[in-house]
Parts: sequence; C-alpha cells; structure tokens
Amino acid sequence: MEYQKVTETSGICNGKLLSEFNCRSGFSELSIDTKKTPVQRTNETSRKEEEDECRLPILEAAYTTILQGLGENTERQGLLRTPLRAAKAMQFMTKGYHENIYDILNDAIFDEDHEEMVIVKDIDMFSLCEHHLVPFFGKVHIGYLPNKKVVGLSKLARIVEIYSRRLQVQERLTKQIATAISEALQPAGVAVIIEAAHMCMVMRGVQKMNSRTVTSAMLGVFREDPKTREEFLSLTRSA
Amino acid sequence: MERSKQKQLNQSEKQTTSASDSSVNGHFDGMVAKMTGVALSGSGESSGQKPPSHALESWREERTRSVEDNEMSLPSIAAAYTTILRGLGEDPQRQGLLKTPWRAATAMQFFTKGYQEKIIDVLNDAIFDEDHDEMVIVKDIDMFSMCEHHLVPIFGRVHIGYLPNKRVVGISKLARIVEIYSRRLQVQERLTKQIAVAITEALQPAGVGVVIEATHMCMVMRGVQKMNSKTVTSTMLGVFREDPKTRDEFLTLIRS
Repeated sequence: MEYQKVTETSGICNGKLLSEFNCRSGFSELSIDTKKTPVQRTNETSRKEEEDECRLPILEAAYTTILQGLGENTERQGLLRTPLRAAKAMQFMTKGYHENIYDILNDAIFDEDHEEMVIVKDIDMFSLCEHHLVPFFGKVHIGYLPNKKVVGLSKLARIVEIYSRRLQVQERLTKQIATAISEALQPAGVAVIIEAAHMCMVMRGVQKMNSRTVTSAMLGVFREDPKTREEFLSLTRSA
Repeated sequence: MERSKQKQLNQSEKQTTSASDSSVNGHFDGMVAKMTGVALSGSGESSGQKPPSHALESWREERTRSVEDNEMSLPSIAAAYTTILRGLGEDPQRQGLLKTPWRAATAMQFFTKGYQEKIIDVLNDAIFDEDHDEMVIVKDIDMFSMCEHHLVPIFGRVHIGYLPNKRVVGISKLARIVEIYSRRLQVQERLTKQIAVAITEALQPAGVGVVIEATHMCMVMRGVQKMNSKTVTSTMLGVFREDPKTRDEFLTLIRS
C-alpha cells in the first residue's frame, strides 16, 4: 500500500508503522518499495489465482504428512480425500492474498454531499491466527465521516474480507482496514472496531471459552474529537 | 463384556456398527505394529470374532498415541506446515511466522490428544455403587473437535443423560469422556455414538442419551458460509430409545 499517503491522515505519522507494514502482508517476497508511486503497486499480490491449482499437490502432500504424524490412518474412508479438501479449505481461508483493494474499490466511490457519519456494523469476519493457524472470528464495525466522497457499502465488507482472509494478527487487521479506507476515500475520519473470539485461546492453551478480544483503530476526527468517537461507539453498541 | 453390550445395544445398533468399515478414528491400524501388546490384550475373550461394536472401538481395546510418539513426529509435522505456509504464498521467515510451524504442529497435536488417552484410565476409579435409579444429566459441556474432512474446528455443547442401574459415575468423568472422543478427527454423528457407547459399556445403565449441538467452521468459514447454522445429533440407547416419556423428560430438562 502507499504509505506516503498514510502520513497525511492524522493519527499515523510514524516511521515505525511504515516499516511494520512493509514486512507484512505476504508481500515481502516481492520486496515492495515504498518509494514506488501508488499506481505501480496496485496489481501486486503475493499469490495469483492461477497458481492455486498448481500448488494444490504440494499442500496435499503436506497435509498427508500431518495426518500420518498425528497417528491417523490416511487410508480410512473418512480421511481418503481429506488432504485435498483441507488444502482447498486453507487456500480459501487465505484467499485475501489474491486480491488487492484497488480492484474492488475503484469503481464504487461516489461524490455525495454527505458529511454525517456512515456506519456499517456487525460484519462477520473470519480469519486465521498466524501464530497457530487456527481460526478466529467475530464482528467488525466500521464507521467513517465522508469528505464529499462515499463508498459503496458492500465495499467496506469486501475490504474486511480481503484483509481478514489471510494469516493475521487482530491488531494488524484492524489497522489495515482503517488505513485502506483512509487512503481510498480521504475521509475526515475512520473508525474500526473488531470483537473476536480466538480459537487458539478457546480450544487450546488457556482454554477460556467466553473470552473476546476487542481492538480498535481511530483515525482522523474519530481520534481527535471525543464526541465523534462517543457517537460511533454508542451507535455500534445499540442493538 | 460382550453379553452386557448386547443387552444394552439395540438390534439396529449392532447392524449398523458391523456394517461400517474397520478403521474408524482411534482405530488406526498403522499404529498397531508399533504398539504390540496394548491393543491385543483386551480382545482375548472375543477371539475369532469381531466385537459387536468393533467399528465404534470398544473402549477396552483402544490404541493410544504416546507422548514420545508426539515428540518424534513433531519435526515432520512442523516441516509440513512450513510447506503449507510457502504454498499459500506467505513468507515463513517473517517475524510473525518464524515459529508458526512448531506452534501449529503442537496445536494440532493438542487438538487430537484424544488419541493419547484411554477411557479405561479415566473411568476405572470413579464408578460407585449408589442406590439411585433416577435420571442423571450433565448438560452444556463445551466440546471442541476437528472436522475430519477439512481439518477445521467444530465446537458446540454436549448434553448427556443416563439412568443408572445401581452404578453411578463421577460427574466429571462424563465430561472427560467427551474430551477423549472429541479431541480427534471426527464426524459429529460418530462422536455422539462413541460417547453413548462408552458410557453404556462402562456403567451398564438402564439407558443413555447424548445430544450434541455444534457449529461447524467448515460450513461457516467456507463452502456454503451459513453463519448461524447448527448441527444437532443425538443417540438414545436402552430405555431412552424405547420409552418416549423418558426421552421426553431428558429433552425437556436439557432445554430448560
């Protein structure tokens, strides 16, 4: 993503942030150069859809090894095609690597004379913990204050999909969604809240069934003005 | 042992169990060669004949994976995960992913730790003679399992009820039985039946009822992507199957 523009959005003026984003998102093998202009980076993804088919056999073999390592009998009826199914499932759950924001967003930004808050809440989100490769899922609430440019509502949900269908850390996911909306729309402010349950904490480790992790990213006027933030928070709380 | 099993299990139960294939989870033939003595010790009395619940793995004859097996297979599982990360287009050398293959391999071994445990170890001490023949229910037992078709989590709640026949079991042992069978690569139908059969074999109660209500991530996160769908399976054995009033009482009590 174009991190020069990031610095224009108040709330993020931080060299550390730039370098953190650089080594993330699976783009490192393409060694994205921050000095490149935005347009040149729009088509780079770490995985092309066409490659998925040819990678399947490798993934299948890996899953077969895993099943055998766990002591299961890979010849039994229930497990015969499991490596293939699991490989495809994993590719589906990381399909965010195929997609980039500009393909989805470019068409659906409209000029509207609207400066009141727009909120899309309760967007179901499913992602994979990058530390344990175990799902975490929850809801995302997005709000933004447009600055004469509004975006198609489903595009907010699509942005969530792109970034969540990857190996993620919830903090980073929140920030990526907020940054993407900032850059695309240049709104007066963006707020993103994610409340999720992490299976890596529920199914294993500490095993706390009811724990939820909440992260938020407030940019622009949502960060500076407490009343705006209050309005957003109360609107996303209400049923 | 076989005779009491035949008393408890209905005719139709036996027919379905004998029809299924011989290698169901927990019954991994690959391990038999390694664990020479353990597997065969329990089947002396049924020599020359498969036990009636062979496909459901009579709990006296379970095979187990050991902690040493876990340690030995960890490197190969971790290597497989590294391959998967690369195959998905990620960079396994970046900071967040450096130790992920090991963490994911250990997590997966934890999610299948049911293969390491045997019912007989868990239950043997906690069966008591009590003059009680009213229904005993333990409900809302959180259950976490792995779908054997997609290797994606399943989670939900298990409700267990049984009508003791002068023998009761420690309450937490019911939850431990759930743990042993759920921490495996499972199919929800089979899980329900395995729990019911294990309790039947251990206690010889007048009847057992098991209801599982679960969410399958393979349906929620991928495929049809139906967020709110739940799958409910139940197994009713003995008097729970034959007497509608008993079954009704059980179902009402778990609803409330």
